Amino acid sequence: MTDLVLKNIGKTYPNGYQAIPSIDLSIEEGEFIVLVGPSGCGKSTLLRMVAGLETITQGDLLIKGNRVNDKEPADRDIAMVFQNYALYPHMTVRANMEYGLKNRGVSKDERHTKVMDVAQMLGLDELLDRRPGQLSGGQRQRVAMGRAMVRDPKVFLFDEPLSNLDAKLRVQMRVEIRQLQRKLATTTLYVTHDQVEAMTLADRLVVLNKGKAEQIGTPMELYDKPATTFVAEFIGSPSMNLFDAMLTERGIELSESLTLLMPHQYRGAIKWGIRPEHLLQSDEANGDFSLQVQAVESLGAETLIHGVLEDGTEQPKPIVVRLAGPHLPDIGSRMWLTAPLKHWHLFDATTQQRL
Amino acid sequence: MIENRPWSRLLSHLILIIGVFIVALPVWVALVGSTQPEGSFNSGSIPLWFGDQGVQNWAHVLFAEAGSTLQIPVWHLLLNSLVMALGITIGKIAISIISAYAIVFFRFPFRSAIFWVIFMTLMLPVEVRIVPTYQVIANLDMLNSYSGLILPLIASATATFLFRQCFMSIPGELVEAARIDGAGPIRFFFDILLPMSRTNIAALFVIMFIYGWNQYLWPLIITTDDTYYTLVMSIKSMLSVPDGDIQWNYVMVTTLLAMLPPVAVVVGMQKLFVKGLVDAEK
Repeated sequence: MTDLVLKNIGKTYPNGYQAIPSIDLSIEEGEFIVLVGPSGCGKSTLLRMVAGLETITQGDLLIKGNRVNDKEPADRDIAMVFQNYALYPHMTVRANMEYGLKNRGVSKDERHTKVMDVAQMLGLDELLDRRPGQLSGGQRQRVAMGRAMVRDPKVFLFDEPLSNLDAKLRVQMRVEIRQLQRKLATTTLYVTHDQVEAMTLADRLVVLNKGKAEQIGTPMELYDKPATTFVAEFIGSPSMNLFDAMLTERGIELSESLTLLMPHQYRGAIKWGIRPEHLLQSDEANGDFSLQVQAVESLGAETLIHGVLEDGTEQPKPIVVRLAGPHLPDIGSRMWLTAPLKHWHLFDATTQQRL
Repeated sequence: MIENRPWSRLLSHLILIIGVFIVALPVWVALVGSTQPEGSFNSGSIPLWFGDQGVQNWAHVLFAEAGSTLQIPVWHLLLNSLVMALGITIGKIAISIISAYAIVFFRFPFRSAIFWVIFMTLMLPVEVRIVPTYQVIANLDMLNSYSGLILPLIASATATFLFRQCFMSIPGELVEAARIDGAGPIRFFFDILLPMSRTNIAALFVIMFIYGWNQYLWPLIITTDDTYYTLVMSIKSMLSVPDGDIQWNYVMVTTLLAMLPPVAVVVGMQKLFVKGLVDAEK
């Protein structure tokens, strides 16, 4: 059963600025959907529209089949976890968690059992009588999640909940959020700008750019078959190498002197892309092209080599290669590479759409 | 810069001691004077050590009559002052916190215009608008009444402004969290806003209590009946004796009594007061 349906949802501010032109999305029960995009792409606005904190100026929002466009946030049966946690500083952890229930007139005993259940699940039972000011960042994060879980809502909304944590804790909480969501099987909408978070958490990803959904799909779909150049560059780290090229009968012409052979019918300007991890080190005899090494980033398990493509033109075209294990090429040296055909990505140069 | 040389320490202590001496001397004179027999001030020298009339003077002033032209005991004046000061303080805080709430958290037409009009009343203290205010209070038949003493002093641009600043520093996410938690405007106000501005309220309470307690001109103008006289204004009338001697010993007792409540408020609420002015509790 579909839990949450966004039908032609749009947002135009009173001053005429169109933050979100139109988005269609239907989310199955228990699905974990991640909205991802660069800052200013409208992902938080969209989440806040679902929450009811921003008005919806166009389209319909359905939760479990009911149109909730004009309902107050409290009446939509959603719970939200904020970036800064937004815990009430003067209340204890327990009071923070049960405040929503109290306002709904839930009896004291029921509140108590619910809070205890959630607190045990999150390991907060020792902290129930503390105030948020006495907790660490990770604990506050947990309380914020606990406050959302206690209500047992139909939809969880997360607004960049991990961005205030340090790197190690972020990884830990990421795993924990995923496990909790699986266990509770509550439909979840999660906003982030971090593509690692997006890839690891999501059942399905929505990549947003300037208020438009560029692509909706599973993380691997997006990785293997990005629908647009934007998605191609956004998903994956380091991002995909993209070059302007001409598609001719002979193949892909990166420059006058460099052509990758691939007989094809279509003719025209395209963008040719390949991910850094799909480029293979080769030698002069077998290599498709070469690069001039400019910087080397050794990460131990892998090495990132930044260079410029040697295609016979003056214009420098930066390219990144990701090789497994340690490599130490000299700066300025030449490195030959092969680009396996199955990992090529071709996009139309004008529409930016996948070919 | 922290210096730790013996000479500078000696010097700074000396300056502080002189300061304390200058500030404390009048209080000391009042304290000593309140124990002197009648007329000892009129001998030409100011007594610097306790006399033997302390208990009688204090009992007379507190419970019999204040002396000079005042026929009512000082405890009644104290009560009047307390009613006025508390009325002004609580009224000011209540009105300004509500108006700040409206200005910060609600969107309505002319919102900022209204704020600036409130803000502009900073330029109109009681002294400036005293004639029209008197007219209004007289027409409302509130001369010689507690409400007449309190009402004109209740509106406060300063407090509204302070609460506005305090509310604006509350993160928007907190307001939204409360909305999602199902707290309507009234619940939000009482459950979240009031407890969060606790320290600000305490700080304002101290400032406003002293302001209210020290009101002089307004009570002097609108009260003609002894029973509504306030303590601070009646000290002056104790000094204007048509003929005969000023009863300095009684004046000193009254002065000390007038000082006590503000001191008690400041001392009692010191901790909260400093907290309210210094940090906005994250």
